Amino acid sequence: MADMLDVQKLSVRLGNLDIVKDLSFTVAEGDWLMIVGPNGAGKSTALSAITQGVDYTGRVLFEGEDVAKMKPVRRAQCMGVLTQSHFVGYAFTVEEVVRLGRYAYAPGLLSNRSDDDDEAVEEALALTGMAAQRKQSVLTLSGGELQRTFLAQVFAQQPRLLLLDEPTNHLDLVYQKQVFSLIERWLQKPGRAVVSVVHDLSLVKAFGTAAVLLRHGQTVATGAIDEVLTAKNLNPVYNMDVAAWMRQMLSQWAADDNTADNIIEEKIC
Amino acid sequence: MNVLKQKIAVLLLAALLLTCLCGCGGETPAGDNSDAAVTVTDMMGREVTLDEPATKIVALTASVCEILYALDAGDTLVGRGEYCNYPAEVLEVTSVQSGYDTNIEQIIALQPQVLLMADMAQDDAQIAQLEAAGIKVVVCDAQNIAEVYDSIKLIGELVGKQDKASAVVADMQATFDEVAQNAADNSDKTVYFEVSPLQYGLWTAGADTFMNEICAMLGAKNCFDDVSGWAEISEEQVLQRNPDYIVTITMYFGDGPTPQEEILSRAGWQNVTAVKNGAILSLQNDELSRPAPRLAEGARLLHDFLLGAE
Amino acid sequence: MNKRLDKVRWWEYLGFGGVFMAVLCLCVCVGSVNIPLSETVTVISNALLRQPQPEGLAPAIILTVRLPRVLCVALTGAALSLAGAAMQGLLKNPLADGSTLGVSSGAALGAVIAIAFGLNFSAVPFAGTMIMAILFALGSLLIILGLAYKLDYSLATNTIILIGVIYSMFVSSAMSVIVTFAADKVQQITFWTMGSLQGSSYENAAVLAAVLLVCGGVLLASAQELNAFAVGEDNARHIGVNVRRTKLVVLITVSVLIGVCVSIGGTIAFVGLVTPHMVRMIVGPNHRRLLPSSLFGGAVFLLLADLVARILLNPQELPIGVVTSLVGAVVFVFIFYNTRKGQ
Repeated sequence: MADMLDVQKLSVRLGNLDIVKDLSFTVAEGDWLMIVGPNGAGKSTALSAITQGVDYTGRVLFEGEDVAKMKPVRRAQCMGVLTQSHFVGYAFTVEEVVRLGRYAYAPGLLSNRSDDDDEAVEEALALTGMAAQRKQSVLTLSGGELQRTFLAQVFAQQPRLLLLDEPTNHLDLVYQKQVFSLIERWLQKPGRAVVSVVHDLSLVKAFGTAAVLLRHGQTVATGAIDEVLTAKNLNPVYNMDVAAWMRQMLSQWAADDNTADNIIEEKIC
Repeated sequence: MNVLKQKIAVLLLAALLLTCLCGCGGETPAGDNSDAAVTVTDMMGREVTLDEPATKIVALTASVCEILYALDAGDTLVGRGEYCNYPAEVLEVTSVQSGYDTNIEQIIALQPQVLLMADMAQDDAQIAQLEAAGIKVVVCDAQNIAEVYDSIKLIGELVGKQDKASAVVADMQATFDEVAQNAADNSDKTVYFEVSPLQYGLWTAGADTFMNEICAMLGAKNCFDDVSGWAEISEEQVLQRNPDYIVTITMYFGDGPTPQEEILSRAGWQNVTAVKNGAILSLQNDELSRPAPRLAEGARLLHDFLLGAE
Repeated sequence: MNKRLDKVRWWEYLGFGGVFMAVLCLCVCVGSVNIPLSETVTVISNALLRQPQPEGLAPAIILTVRLPRVLCVALTGAALSLAGAAMQGLLKNPLADGSTLGVSSGAALGAVIAIAFGLNFSAVPFAGTMIMAILFALGSLLIILGLAYKLDYSLATNTIILIGVIYSMFVSSAMSVIVTFAADKVQQITFWTMGSLQGSSYENAAVLAAVLLVCGGVLLASAQELNAFAVGEDNARHIGVNVRRTKLVVLITVSVLIGVCVSIGGTIAFVGLVTPHMVRMIVGPNHRRLLPSSLFGGAVFLLLADLVARILLNPQELPIGVVTSLVGAVVFVFIFYNTRKGQ
């Protein structure tokens, strides 16, 4: 069986500059692939190319099908995207934003909503703990709530592959953990996979199953998470003793862990 | 806000247009022979002295150009405003633009002794520039027929043609007297003057316009003498006031229906007396809107129309 | 549990429709010439029943002057308001409108060129100005948005307005140049740019209605896509909206709407800004409700503005654009203040 996502020799050039050069990797069902690297490594650009947001050379295949040739609606049914920040111009309600996730299943005017749509929306709202705030204007939400709203939208979209671009960058540590735990729970169902760009190596280590390490657009290492995130790979890329720093971070995490879990429990149940 | 600005610009343009079409007046102190110095007081009350009658003039208003030609002094014209178009020879004179596009440098380069213009056509800074270049600025802005006489005499003084000026004025007066004789016959007639056609919004000439003054002279009533100057008025009001005559000064460019045909074909106008009788006069040459000798011609045309259309 | 959120709320439309009909009746009954209500009713019922009309002024004034004008005003208001609402959604910017972006000015430039050089594509009156106005509206939109995207991909409010101002200035100087080339038509051009719905005919109303039917249909069918754009263009792409096609369709439709309105009534500023904003306060930002409601809102707003223009200085008329600009400028400042405060 073909891999869920197969990226072949993906390159993005901006003027004379190679932002991403010959990036290749595959993602299988159940995988959570982390694209890591320091600032300016081309992580977000690589993700944008996969979601067809920037022009690129090379091929991106979803279960053997060229993503570039997919119709937008079909692409949205296969792949969902969650980005880091959202500025919504108007006072849409949480439910209206989440319901937009169903666009790919019934675009157009006479899209009478099916029970499937309602079910998917309800499930997404429940899963992200936003059900109680469904009537609230998105303009009045906190950063964490807004991010969970868009997470609910992408859940309602019911993609097979989730692409995340630093989805928790501007959130507090507790909410970062919360969002990642929600995604981990989503990933547990069969036939799903996640690719994410994450800045924070402690999160990478905690949730990733595989990783691609980039530096200046070049692939430094790719493979299972433990094979990639080694001191030998990381230290030259980041110019520091990453392992020591991470140990410190992880111990801090352990202390926070209970608090975070408690908050998740409260919000969801 | 840009739109507001645009609106203001349009209004200014319209205002300019009006001043261009309405333009000139003055008073004449003495000045007897063509070699002596000439001193005149223009209609802004400014005293202007020339060493000798002017031989090189730039005129920004169409009416002044017409007066100059009427005084056989068209050869003194070395520059003209953009909208000066009568008589046809004037088109051969260099145009120096109009309004705030007026090309001051070009005027100075033409080295006239005198610049004739209407009130408010230029701002003070431009006038100062011109005077600094040794060009005398004379403001000439007639608002009624008496002031037209004054402006003709004023210009006569400037070019040393007082006698011709008096003759032109006398001619005009004679014509007005003649056409006014039948005034009593028109006493119950109403006239609607149309400045802009329905397509662009109806504009009429109300009180304080030459059309209104001449209409009154002929004994008829301008049916919109309750508005002042040129104004956009309601179509409903025209129907209600039911004019006996319609005079349109809408320009005709040679394609589509003529102004008369267009008015005759207007939906809902078929019961207007003027339309029923086909009593519509189209004036194409500014005879009734320009403060110049041709007002007499316009008065005669209107007179003949009011008599003949019965 | 299941609340059908974006379902059509019939009572809302009943309310809008009721207000619209009331204002429409008011505008037919009130005007420069005072006609008793009973006579107005007689004239209209006779016209509907094909009965002979009574003698007098009333039939001519009501049936050939007031009614076609009121219809044109209502349709123009609806069309401009719909165009504004669609643009505000597409650009995620509550200040986007034909007048603030300079599209109306562009359309006016096209129409002025048609008038100045006597362009007539067929015997149909207005066809020349209409086609030129539509083409120039579309061209203007492409130039303005092309420039805006180059300068600031997020199309922030300030960028859009700045470009709109600059473009409008450019257009007005271009118009001055045209006027210089066609000095003999300056009078016509001046009166035309003042904007007037006087002399509107049933033919004008029919053209407006047909255009509104087609363009309105297209935009209403794009309501979901506009919702997605209003949340964010990237988000729209991610949920499967064909971003490029939607943009093209909406921009062309909006250009046609604005071009036709400008060629019939001149530039009437701010209608597309004021009404969607007010309507949004009532029905919320969801385009499935916002777009149809904007149709009613725009019609009502412009009908009232036109009524003021018709009777305030009786027997004189005010250019309708003066009335809408007066209201529009205030609302503009209000929205601008609020969006700035929100940032």
